[in-house]
Amino acid sequence: MEIIEVDAYYVPPDFRSQVKDFRTEVYQDENITIHLKIPQISNSFVETLTDHLKKRRETYLASLPIGKIIDVLDEASRKWLERDYPLRKLALKTIPFTTRFSREVVEASIDVEMGSSLREDIWHALCSEIKNPLFLDDFQYSPELNGYSRAFGPKLIISIFSENIPALPHLLFMRSALLKAACLGKVATGEPTFAPLYLKTIEEIDPEMAESMAVLYWRGGEQDIEEAAFHHADAVIMFGGVEACESLREKIPRGVKALLHGHRLGFGIIGQKRLCRKGLRELAASVALDCSMFDQHACLAPHIYYLEAGGEVSPKEFCRTLAEAMERLNLKMPRGKISPGEASAIHQLRAKYEFRELNGEEVLLLASPHGTDWTIVYEKDPGIFSPSPLNRFIRIFGVEDILQILPSVKSIAPYLQNAAVAIGDEREKELIRRLGELGVARITSPGKMPIPSMMWHHDGISPLASLLRWCDIEKKDP
Amino acid sequence: MMKEFPKEALDLDEMILSYIRRGTDHQDSEEFNRLALLVFELQVKYIPIYRCYCEKRGIHPENISSWDQVPALPTDAFKVMDLAMFPSFTVRTFMTSGTTKPEERGKVGYDDGGLQLMDATIDEAASVFLFPERIKTKILILAPSPDTVPHMIMAYGMNRLKESFGLPQSRFLIGQDGFEVQVLVDELRRSEANGIPTTICGGSFGFVNFFDYCREKGLRFKLPPGSRTLDAGGFKGRSREVKREEFVGAGEEFLGIPKYYSVNLLGMTEVSSQFYDNTLRNFQRGLDLPETKVNPPWTRTLVVDPDTLEPLPQGKVGLLRHFDLANRGHIAAIQTDDLGRTTSEGFEIYGRSRGEEARGCSLTIEEMTRIQKD
Repeated sequence: MEIIEVDAYYVPPDFRSQVKDFRTEVYQDENITIHLKIPQISNSFVETLTDHLKKRRETYLASLPIGKIIDVLDEASRKWLERDYPLRKLALKTIPFTTRFSREVVEASIDVEMGSSLREDIWHALCSEIKNPLFLDDFQYSPELNGYSRAFGPKLIISIFSENIPALPHLLFMRSALLKAACLGKVATGEPTFAPLYLKTIEEIDPEMAESMAVLYWRGGEQDIEEAAFHHADAVIMFGGVEACESLREKIPRGVKALLHGHRLGFGIIGQKRLCRKGLRELAASVALDCSMFDQHACLAPHIYYLEAGGEVSPKEFCRTLAEAMERLNLKMPRGKISPGEASAIHQLRAKYEFRELNGEEVLLLASPHGTDWTIVYEKDPGIFSPSPLNRFIRIFGVEDILQILPSVKSIAPYLQNAAVAIGDEREKELIRRLGELGVARITSPGKMPIPSMMWHHDGISPLASLLRWCDIEKKDP
Repeated sequence: MMKEFPKEALDLDEMILSYIRRGTDHQDSEEFNRLALLVFELQVKYIPIYRCYCEKRGIHPENISSWDQVPALPTDAFKVMDLAMFPSFTVRTFMTSGTTKPEERGKVGYDDGGLQLMDATIDEAASVFLFPERIKTKILILAPSPDTVPHMIMAYGMNRLKESFGLPQSRFLIGQDGFEVQVLVDELRRSEANGIPTTICGGSFGFVNFFDYCREKGLRFKLPPGSRTLDAGGFKGRSREVKREEFVGAGEEFLGIPKYYSVNLLGMTEVSSQFYDNTLRNFQRGLDLPETKVNPPWTRTLVVDPDTLEPLPQGKVGLLRHFDLANRGHIAAIQTDDLGRTTSEGFEIYGRSRGEEARGCSLTIEEMTRIQKD
């Protein structure tokens, strides 16, 4: 039996003496015991900590050149991409345990997240949102203004992480650092181990920068602590359920910026031109990846793939090729463990499709040979956007004309986010235009749904620019 | 269309009926298994879609020897089609509740024989678990009568209790205008005065609403000895969940009913039989047995792994799967999404594994008994 001690928190080196009381939560299964160390915190503790983070930001991070910040973040990502990096190895033990994702899913997730967080990605993200990253360092000449501009980030950002995507919290620390903001993260109960490890990496590279970053755990809605934290923040970023986001919105004081990323729904669309024999296996492998990555827990994941009839390969035939791809991928990157309720939901829904199929309806059920590992159900588009029970359960809806899907997509407009589109003829432009109008925030190709670039306007907003405050100099004579 | 009800079904019903009529104090497993396999054979023969379902799994009546090899049907299958054995002989259809979308309601059709089997299970189980001293009481029912809600299986069952075990003053208390709370109060006062033991039965949440009403109005009753409550439905998916001890405590406080006289039962639209707590039986018979839901001899309950649906050993937590001989008219083996574990006499239920959808008849009853605050 292996015993691992791991922290569910991170405070900067110079603040550590202030953390005095801990409790330990013990998690164990047959092979591994995890001792999760959690500090006892109060609202005054949170106040002292936020104060420390802001002060140390002021003396260091606030005046650190953006180029140097990017160096640190790039190096951190590169460390995490190394197979032998000790903290990565540790995370690969703890995250599968806390989230019940398979080790392979967690590994892929770290590779995807860190692989899209390298120097070039960061630089592009900055350029795409604020044109010239040097605006963050000092006043820069702006020809349109015919003057000088400078961008100031928040002093302190509170980031509330969700547990559905392992290795995502690093993105919030990266964004904060790029804005030269101190950042206090709150980890999710379901996955408290990654964020503290990531900050240890920052500490290894630049301990002074780490002085303005911390991670704590408190229960969502813990009034005193949240009030203390929000009171000292300039911005709050949250990932979580729609209701959790709504209830948080009410608690955020006026004047504090809030970026709330509630749960969203994704889908894919493949036109008849793309449903051909050539490249069929590759296309199926791409769709399988979209449906399997993060076990479909990400907002980015598709619930439905719409397939257009009339191509060389029928939607039903595509389902059979997709089934092979799902099974292959499951061998390579197994689905994680799921709760009895999640498994039961899959069995019950499978039964509905199986009986409709046995009844002679135009329905197809294809399922993993064992358990609930993956499921494909095919039917003609019922005209309702039906969410999937997740955990690698994909609905394939057959349509006569791809533009028919727009009304049902419109019905979930507030929750639209990510769409894979492969039409292959002149209608693609029109479809993309309509999807954009309806509220889709990201359009990509099959196989790329779970891998947004860092340049992406996350949920349709500019995650960096929207937190900036500008100062312009409009003055002819100096 | 079938003109005459097949004799082999009539004969089988006769056999099952006499097995049920032997009561609950035996465990004739051999006969249970024999009847279970006959039921399965008949269901495979007459329900073509179930036959296909079993064939896909390589199961035929000839190649199995035990009831636990019979393929179980997930409850949601009843939402997509009629699985009655003889649809042209269906005399009554019960529907699951918990949702207003008609396409999301499971439908279970009963022929005459099936209804007779269900009636027999109600009589036999109630006479041991609800009225072990074999008395008749005044029965007050916190539910609408079957005339108003013909599709609600709980209303049907409670009506049967009223007919078999109720004194003439027994009645339903949810009418066209909703919950007749004043009538209930008057009836309970009358019982206090004339000393006639009274049974109140209905959805668990209906009781909670009434307890809230009593608390608010400062009402307390001291019902005569031998009075009891029977609640069904539970609290999953409700605005609030009430612990069993709290529920029983409220029964003592507001109605004066001792804790052993608060009986809970699990009933499902897809399963004809009912699963009672053994509390009152144990008390009456002086049995020192652990509290549990009991499988009457004509039923069995298995616990299966939620992912693989393979049976789990006794004591392990998983999904409950019931086999009910009284389900002759539709499908005997039912895969639920309730979490629980088996015990020596039956099983414990921990609620639905899927939290998001409310289940059971209790929901509509809650809506009907919700007392307007004035």
